[in-house]
Amino acid sequence: MSATHHHHEEQDFLFKYIFSQDHKMISKQFLITGFLMGFIGMVMSTLFRLQLGFPGESFWIIDFLLGSWAENGVMAPDKYLSLVTMHGTIMVFFLLTAGLSGTFSNLLIPLQIGARDMASGFLNMLSYWFFFVSSVIMLISLGVEGGAASAGWTIYPPLSALPQAIPGSGLGMTLWLVSMAIFIASSLLGSLNYIVTILNLRTKGMTMTRLPLTIWAFLVTAILGVISFPVLLSAALLLIFDRSFGTSFYLSDIYIGGQVLEHSGGSPILFEHLFWFLGHPEVYIVLLPSLGITSEIVSTMSRKPIFGYRAMITSILAIAFLSAIVWGHHMFVTGMNPFLGAVFTFTTLLIAIPSAVKVFNYLTTLWKGNIIFSPAMLFSIGLVSTFISGGVTGLVLGDSALDINVHDTYFVVGHFHIVMGLSAVFGMYAGVYHWFPKMYGRVMNNTIGYLHFWLTIITTYGIFFPMHFLGLAGVPRRYYTNSEFPLFDNMIDINEFITWCAIAAAFAQLLFAFNFFYSLFRGPKSSQNPWRANSLEWTTPVEHIHGNWPGEIPEVYRWSYDYSKVDENGDYVHGQDFIPQVVPLGPNEKDGGH
Amino acid sequence: MATITLENTNNYKEELRQKTAKPMLWIGLVSIVMFFAGLTSAVIVSKGTAQWESVSIPNTFLLSTIFIILSSLTFFLGEKMVKNNDLNKSKIMITATMLLGVLFTITQYIAWKELYSNGVVWAGSESSAAGSYFYTLTALHLIHLLGGLISLTVVLVKSVKEKYNSDNILGIQLSSTYWHFLTILWIYLYLFLIFIA
Repeated sequence: MSATHHHHEEQDFLFKYIFSQDHKMISKQFLITGFLMGFIGMVMSTLFRLQLGFPGESFWIIDFLLGSWAENGVMAPDKYLSLVTMHGTIMVFFLLTAGLSGTFSNLLIPLQIGARDMASGFLNMLSYWFFFVSSVIMLISLGVEGGAASAGWTIYPPLSALPQAIPGSGLGMTLWLVSMAIFIASSLLGSLNYIVTILNLRTKGMTMTRLPLTIWAFLVTAILGVISFPVLLSAALLLIFDRSFGTSFYLSDIYIGGQVLEHSGGSPILFEHLFWFLGHPEVYIVLLPSLGITSEIVSTMSRKPIFGYRAMITSILAIAFLSAIVWGHHMFVTGMNPFLGAVFTFTTLLIAIPSAVKVFNYLTTLWKGNIIFSPAMLFSIGLVSTFISGGVTGLVLGDSALDINVHDTYFVVGHFHIVMGLSAVFGMYAGVYHWFPKMYGRVMNNTIGYLHFWLTIITTYGIFFPMHFLGLAGVPRRYYTNSEFPLFDNMIDINEFITWCAIAAAFAQLLFAFNFFYSLFRGPKSSQNPWRANSLEWTTPVEHIHGNWPGEIPEVYRWSYDYSKVDENGDYVHGQDFIPQVVPLGPNEKDGGH
Repeated sequence: MATITLENTNNYKEELRQKTAKPMLWIGLVSIVMFFAGLTSAVIVSKGTAQWESVSIPNTFLLSTIFIILSSLTFFLGEKMVKNNDLNKSKIMITATMLLGVLFTITQYIAWKELYSNGVVWAGSESSAAGSYFYTLTALHLIHLLGGLISLTVVLVKSVKEKYNSDNILGIQLSSTYWHFLTILWIYLYLFLIFIA
């Protein structure tokens, strides 16, 4: 780490900003790159929603943006599949894994545990630049001949394994795999740092059970990543071998384009097992950081300790453990032994328990709190709402019998968009609004924030809620058009409604983008602790310095949730409704956490 | 760490390295374990299909196994000698480790040629799943071992220059931990290939 000492040499621009090894700078790099990728993913979804809501109609914007991918302003069917694939890939991995974890784990871990920086600033820097390179390669794949990968973000073989199956399975698919291999390296390097920093570099007094719940969430997320991403790497490697070298790990008995291929002995189901062994923990890697962020914001802005701190930790651990043994629920319709289906159903439904515990704890924390409705708080409460509504449909999907009707329909699309596209993204927005003062020393505009929240939650519920009805009626996912089937004729209006909501939601996000960049340069300057919070990050000076604290790192004496702590007379302990972790216990004061 | 101030940051960097290098290596090893766990699970799934044809394992792989186990032994002894400040003997042991590592690599190559001459190929119309997995698993292990050889080269050069002693041993420990991991991983893969493939 490029630490300073009194004879500080001025770092050149390259190492201070571009190849910074300071966690605060790296977190901003992750944020901007993640948001940029998210914006691109959002534009993609708006474009293909135009096709879905108004099938076959010509649009100037499609012609303008897609060029040769759209004849006369109508999107081509195979390009539709590319957009759907890339939208999923970009949102799940680039926005919600690297963008979310990369930003907040990097920003908050050293600050909240009381460390100068991450365990290895160098590996941290590499982690970001690998992410950047992988993003560039993924975007380049959009422009190659044949187009980007088109087999869905789940890239099942044989569709993804055979270039002759669909244009996107040529160079586009190869670049996708290269990009993801680099992405996985980035993710592993990041997780390495997060785990070791949290376990080894906590300041004096910061026991594991005095940590804010954000840190617990980031720790468990990183562990999940270390365990599951290498399996995706193995799946991708075998796919590369099948595609480019003629092995038959996933392929067998293929007759395509009038030709019998030589592959034999492989099984596409093998790919599904390997993919979903990552794929399921991946969605919890996406979700857990947002849940941790919500714990933090809900308690700070309700001026109450988080209800059930230890239950929250246990729930995070239970969710993570269970998430590794449920992957088969993505494969219920592959012809698996029904008993095995029952086992996966059982473990999947079990996850509902710790998830529900977390929801109850958020609600109980809010109950009778002195609530301050900042935009961050609104998004956190919005997360609780969408987590409930998105989560309950998971119970239907997790039941192997019920899933037969809804697998690969819009029911699934509705479910995962509400829990990932809404809950996890709301957590990310909440985190940005809440920690913007810490990242940039300024405050974002509240009015625009309120507008952003209300427009977003209304329009996005408008997008995804009707999808459940489409799915129950049997409308399949990933289809270019649903107007070719008389069965779905009376769904056309719903599709149109969803598209209007999607367009409105996309514009609503521009409000956030404006607020973010405007406040970056012209926002009112922030005080050191604008939310009057307890955790350690608010004890650092507003102006960033390497090493975070100008003198010694503070010692910690209590957990981070001493809000509205009162003594026997009903007076606030230490005279105010919050007690930062660095304040020693009073003579008669008991430690609130345990 | 609470007593670290900005004044003594050079000590800080070294203290940081002492505290965090090994845990980071261990986490990296967990990720490599999961990588091979994914691949060996794939073998088990593939074996469950009807078209599985076993491949018999060439004896040269047994020779590889002996070489790598011996190399772990020499590395272990070399590290112990550095701890006892017996630097001359340690140089011999570390050199021996390097030689045994190279012998492992050579015998892997010979074993592959033996497989090939038995008609087992990695890819193409003549390949079988078992053969593909054989080459894939052993080749991926070897790639990780090449990383180990690079690390070992650094250790060898530094130990010849007498940079290590009983107080300055972290570099050797990191390299030897990784090396022993590669040995254990190889033993697991070797037994797995014998009993399953």
